[in-house]
Amino acid sequence: MKNKFDENEITKLADNLLIGLTKEENKLILDEFSYIEESINKINGITGLDELEPLTHPFPVSLTLEEDIPTEELTIDEVLKNVTDHDGREIKVPKVVN
Amino acid sequence: MIQELHKKLISDNKYQGELLTDTIKKCQDYQTKYNLFVTMLEPKETKITDNLLSGIPYALKDNFSTKGILSTGSSNILKNYIPVFDATIVEKLNNLGALCVGKTVLDELGMGGTGTTGHTGVVKNPWHKDYICGGSSAGSACAVASGLVSYAIGSDTGDSIRKPAALTGIVGYKPTYGVLSRYGLFQFASSLDHVGILTRNVLDAAIVVNELKGRDIKDMTSINLDTDLIENINASIKNKKLFYIKEICDINNYYKPSATLVSTLKEFNKTIDTIKNLGVKVEEISINKHLLEALHPTYITISCAEATSNYSNLTGISFGERGNSTNIMAMIKDARTKGFSTLIKRRFVIGSYVLQKENQDKYFLNAQKVRKLVVNTFNELFKKYDALILPCGLPAKKISEVSEIISKDTNILENHLVIGNFGGYPSITIPNGFVNNLPIGINFTGKIKDDANILNIANKVEEVLGYKDQIAKEVK
Repeated sequence: MKNKFDENEITKLADNLLIGLTKEENKLILDEFSYIEESINKINGITGLDELEPLTHPFPVSLTLEEDIPTEELTIDEVLKNVTDHDGREIKVPKVVN
Repeated sequence: MIQELHKKLISDNKYQGELLTDTIKKCQDYQTKYNLFVTMLEPKETKITDNLLSGIPYALKDNFSTKGILSTGSSNILKNYIPVFDATIVEKLNNLGALCVGKTVLDELGMGGTGTTGHTGVVKNPWHKDYICGGSSAGSACAVASGLVSYAIGSDTGDSIRKPAALTGIVGYKPTYGVLSRYGLFQFASSLDHVGILTRNVLDAAIVVNELKGRDIKDMTSINLDTDLIENINASIKNKKLFYIKEICDINNYYKPSATLVSTLKEFNKTIDTIKNLGVKVEEISINKHLLEALHPTYITISCAEATSNYSNLTGISFGERGNSTNIMAMIKDARTKGFSTLIKRRFVIGSYVLQKENQDKYFLNAQKVRKLVVNTFNELFKKYDALILPCGLPAKKISEVSEIISKDTNILENHLVIGNFGGYPSITIPNGFVNNLPIGINFTGKIKDDANILNIANKVEEVLGYKDQIAKEVK
């Protein structure tokens, strides 16, 4: 079966997610991507979809506003416990704006 | 079993210490044998109260946040992550005096069905160490099936509690969507994710969910289920109406069926006869095969798309393993490139593909429409029937033979449990005997919020099948 996808397309999809792929990973995904597309295309073999609304939640729910109840939240120190690098209460990352 | 343990804990003040010491010792032994834990814990004795869960050890899937305790999602990207808050489920269990003895291995970030893709290695089936437990709640299933704990907490996005329960010969119960709060669960696909329980009998599953259910202000999708889940669990099920799906259960639908498949469906049919003898009406119904074949592709499309979005928070900046670079985007990319396994990257790439502007209508939106059609179909059936009963699939595969590669073949028998996630239905697996000396399961699924009815049916069927409270006896 001829693969309609190529290495560059897989790289682009991964790049959009800020994920890098090794050559081996790219090949693995590329090799099965036609099958993946063929599989998910079974969705489009179902008739009558035009009349249906997409289902985004298992069942209808009514969302209500909650009462404003003050609660204890995390302190800055607690929040920063998992941060690799910080300066006081600010998370340190490389320069973003020149 | 939980009730008996509780009685003993109340009546014998030395028993908690003995139980805890014994469980912690066994954790070490079983870890060596089955590799079921990411982290083992040594909780301290607690005050035994009237609550049934106080002082009873349990295991927790490692995709729940635990304050001050490593919570990895079995992924390298979170291998050193120690949350600063508890998941609501954990908070409730702590408040009840339940004792967590370990955080269990899952398929990386919950995305897998074999228990072989966690960053700490493969979880082995306590019935036979060459075989998988299934996933993604592999370690939780192993902890219960091996007799280490009487219950474990899991999560279920496609079948991640109910399938490993089948493969390890135990009970796996996913309540109606939202009955158990998802706050603090590492979200995989939010519209499909459920929190649930693994136990060795139906009553225990009902007891644990009864204690933990309820609306949580921190999870806007959580709901109140006012019904008591235990009250009618022993009621007669005479005249209840069940249905099964011909396209899955009739051997004539399979081309050259394997001996294992023949035996699995034979056991299922035997159980149907047993259930009929209880005065239950069981009918065979037919469902469009194309729709059934679209279940797995629909699941893959929706779950990968939601996962791609949900896990965009794993950047290594505010938590997790930070990448190396002097540029922030490259830093995030480095963290994600090193932190995710190939299989996870593949799922994200699929998610990215179906969410591309040019593909969204064709794949993602149409998948959501197929989901709607499936849910409409089963909602109609649940107006006529009390529950759907189906075999959970074949027994466990050998570890050496598993593959997480997505096949173009759509195996309905192995993928139908996702119906429960599409509709948010209560769904429970119980053991249904053995094929090739390995456990198999049957599953009951019913309409939303009808959990008490599903538990009642499962409990009464469990009584007559003879596999209640079984503990794995390793055959090798």
